[in-house]
Amino acid sequence: MLVHSLFFYFFSIIAVFSAIMVTISKNTIYSVFFLILVFVSVSILFIMIGAEFLGMIMLIVYVGAVAVLFLFVVMMLNIVEQVTKRSSRKGFINYISVGSIVGAIIFLELLVVIGGWKYKGTFIPLSDININVDLSNTHVLGNILYTDYIHLFQIAGMILLVAMIGAITLTFSKRENIKRQNYFEQIQREKTNAVSLVDVKSGKGVKLDD
Amino acid sequence: MIEIGLGHYLTLAAIIFTIGIIGIFLNRKNVIIILMSIELILLAANINLVSFSIYLQNIVGQVFTMFILTVAAAEAAVGLAIIVIYYKNKGSIDVEHIDSLKG
Amino acid sequence: MEYAIVLLPLLGSIVSGFFGKKLGAKVCQILTSSFVSISAILSLFIFYKVFVQDYSSNKLIFNWISSGDFHVNWSIQIDPLTSVMLVIVSLISSIIHFYSIGYMSHDPHKPRFMSYLSLFTFAMFTLVSADNFLQLYFGWEGVGLCSYLLIGFWFKKPSANAAAIKAFIVNRVGDFGFAIGIFLIFFFYGTVNYNEVFQQTPLLLQKEIIFLGIEFNLITLICLLLFFGAMGKSAQILLHTWLPDAMEGPTPVSALIHAATMVTAGVFLVVRCSPIFEYSQTALNVVAIVGMITAFFAASVALVQNDIKKIVAYSTCSQLGYMFFAAGVGAYHVAIFHLFTHAFFKALLFLGSGCVIHSFNEEQDIRSMGGVWKKIPYTYALMIIGTLALTGFPFLSGYYSKDAIIEFAYLKGNTVGYYAASVGIFTALLTAMYSWRLIFKTFHGKYNNKKNNLNSIQESPLIMLIPSCLLAIGAIITGILFKEMFIGFDTQFWNNSILFLQTIQHDHPPTWLLVLTPLIVIVTIPTAYYLFVKNERILKNFVLKNQLLYNFLINKWYFDDLYNFIFVEPIKKIGLFFWRRGDINTIDRYGPDGLSRLVKIISDKAVNFQSGYLYHYAFVMLIGFSILLTYLILY
Repeated sequence: MLVHSLFFYFFSIIAVFSAIMVTISKNTIYSVFFLILVFVSVSILFIMIGAEFLGMIMLIVYVGAVAVLFLFVVMMLNIVEQVTKRSSRKGFINYISVGSIVGAIIFLELLVVIGGWKYKGTFIPLSDININVDLSNTHVLGNILYTDYIHLFQIAGMILLVAMIGAITLTFSKRENIKRQNYFEQIQREKTNAVSLVDVKSGKGVKLDD
Repeated sequence: MIEIGLGHYLTLAAIIFTIGIIGIFLNRKNVIIILMSIELILLAANINLVSFSIYLQNIVGQVFTMFILTVAAAEAAVGLAIIVIYYKNKGSIDVEHIDSLKG
Repeated sequence: MEYAIVLLPLLGSIVSGFFGKKLGAKVCQILTSSFVSISAILSLFIFYKVFVQDYSSNKLIFNWISSGDFHVNWSIQIDPLTSVMLVIVSLISSIIHFYSIGYMSHDPHKPRFMSYLSLFTFAMFTLVSADNFLQLYFGWEGVGLCSYLLIGFWFKKPSANAAAIKAFIVNRVGDFGFAIGIFLIFFFYGTVNYNEVFQQTPLLLQKEIIFLGIEFNLITLICLLLFFGAMGKSAQILLHTWLPDAMEGPTPVSALIHAATMVTAGVFLVVRCSPIFEYSQTALNVVAIVGMITAFFAASVALVQNDIKKIVAYSTCSQLGYMFFAAGVGAYHVAIFHLFTHAFFKALLFLGSGCVIHSFNEEQDIRSMGGVWKKIPYTYALMIIGTLALTGFPFLSGYYSKDAIIEFAYLKGNTVGYYAASVGIFTALLTAMYSWRLIFKTFHGKYNNKKNNLNSIQESPLIMLIPSCLLAIGAIITGILFKEMFIGFDTQFWNNSILFLQTIQHDHPPTWLLVLTPLIVIVTIPTAYYLFVKNERILKNFVLKNQLLYNFLINKWYFDDLYNFIFVEPIKKIGLFFWRRGDINTIDRYGPDGLSRLVKIISDKAVNFQSGYLYHYAFVMLIGFSILLTYLILY
């Protein structure tokens, strides 16, 4: 058990430290990197606790897609170096102090909930729970996901579709000044509106309407 | 303290949740940080769900975590698209300058 | 028929008031004048019926108040006293209506004027034909209101506005006492109807009440309070200050209201309540004394006045004093008789003054007139007739009524009576002096007017002269005609409209008394002529030697200054204090102004919430969320 707790503390401290650095780092790229570190350590924690499928998925999706997306945008918009203006609000409360106080209050309340729950009569510590090792996590997940929760699964796909369409709609801009080919028009061309016979007088040219 | 129990995981989730919340309004830099803080909040919820699912030997928690993962990804994508567009229109994504709702 | 008398002027007033602009001035004038004239003819007819057939009636208009034990009606009661008053009011009013057609010909607001005149007539009718105190009070207030409206008729003049308010407020002071009197009557008698009150009075003779800490006999107190109201309305001493200033109104107004009708309402009240007054010797003495002092005071002030209308106004005040001390010695019928004749010659004097003012192109100061008796002969003749009647020249109407007053006062026999008689005779001397001073200064002597050319003095138009002639006829004949009926020995005319507890002795007064007053009056004429026309230097030297006395008189015995010092200035200061500190600083500051400022401050602060920054909004959401969380955890 000692190793277990050692690992737990180690990775959780890394997670917390990285989370803090996400918010207060000056360089935006560093913030994204620290975010990646948070994700990695949390996924390790997942694997430790027995939900290995989820841990892997987190690595693939969160780190591989979301965080990379963040990096794309950061680099595209060129907002790497940010100068933080020391603009102090005149006449208003200092936000850092009040924010920290409010955050501390929320944290304490969450602890109160956890603590209160922990001392209930029916509490069983985690180590007393036997983890079923017959079926892998993936297997169990698959059993449930495609049978009982099939509808939610499909809807989750819809959500992703909608998000994709939304992102494309927002950012797509048709460039006006390039020539493109319109296949439908090309195939539908008729003789009557493509070729015409004109009697040309000698010496005079032909006017084509474009 | 040596025995890692459910409470430890929940505490960890609480800490990350609080950090995410503070990060939303305490940053002075740019909007991307806000989106990242939102990701942190969702991560904290994920940790909670997974630890409860393991504790109660009920797989449904992890199913729900997958959905949260999905939604978080979708939301990050759309949010970033909005930021891109906003940057194209306004020229900067400095938090101090986003005050068109003022009044 | 009684309904027509009372309601026709009201109809004329409403039509002229509301539709004046549409109908046009001519139609309004003719309409209102004819309505009031019809009332006059009808009231003459009623008078005839009362005189010949002992007619009396009480016609109900409708039930006004019926609450518990308190029953009050709108009704028209006709008895001898009422019929006499109706005749006076309606005749004078109709003559004045016709006169003002001519006098106000240059005024742009003719319909409004006629409407007010008719409204006043209606209110006066209501007053005299009431059969209970409440309707009387309504008429009382109504004439006060019309007085205000008419004095301030030219409302663009600030002095007219001030005079109107002064009249109304001084009247109000009197009305306050009157109202308390009515309250006492209702409280102790249980009713305010005349006949019930008069019947119950003998039963309450011994009742004493404590009023303001002093113990009073109930009947005396009621009479004193009622008389206080009469003092206000009839401009007796202490409440007289409004009458001279009321001359700011147009001359017809002065003639109608302040000579013939409104100011006589006080006398009417005392005579109507004779069944109550007869039982309180104290109150009667007070009435007589106040009347005497007023008569003397007003005559003395009139001696030195220079405005023609003010002289006549003070003359009215003085004659009212005569009427009151006639009532105070128990000779109510003589008071009414003098009221009757006085209405005619005083209105005549006012209308004549109006003609004079009109001829002199709005000049009112007698020092700027003079020497025009040949130029305006008719006006001169009318004024001479009026003055002769006023002073009591033998065989004109004033002689009969005024001398009757002095005789009855003497015949009363007690101290008050003797005092009253002597004051009466002395005042008659003063009356003669100032009246002839007016005539001589206005019509004889040198022409003193700086503004107008002597040739531009024209006679007044016929429409103004003819009504005055009618009044002159009245001034001459009413004395002889009605003497027997009103004050003759053992006359049955009054029946029970006036109560006499002791029959007035009518044995002949000593001959020297009979002769004294006319002698004084006749002798005064050449004396006045000498003093005011031939040899003005005597008077000028007299004035120079007695500057103090002259100042005392010309400042009206300093009453106005006294009241100003005691009442007006402190009240103005108090009002100013309450307005500034109370109203503006306290109520407005914490009320509307304070609220609006508070709203503005709060909204200024609240604007900062809408900063537009996303993270501000997120922060506020977070605070709300944490509060919710705290609430859920703790409870």
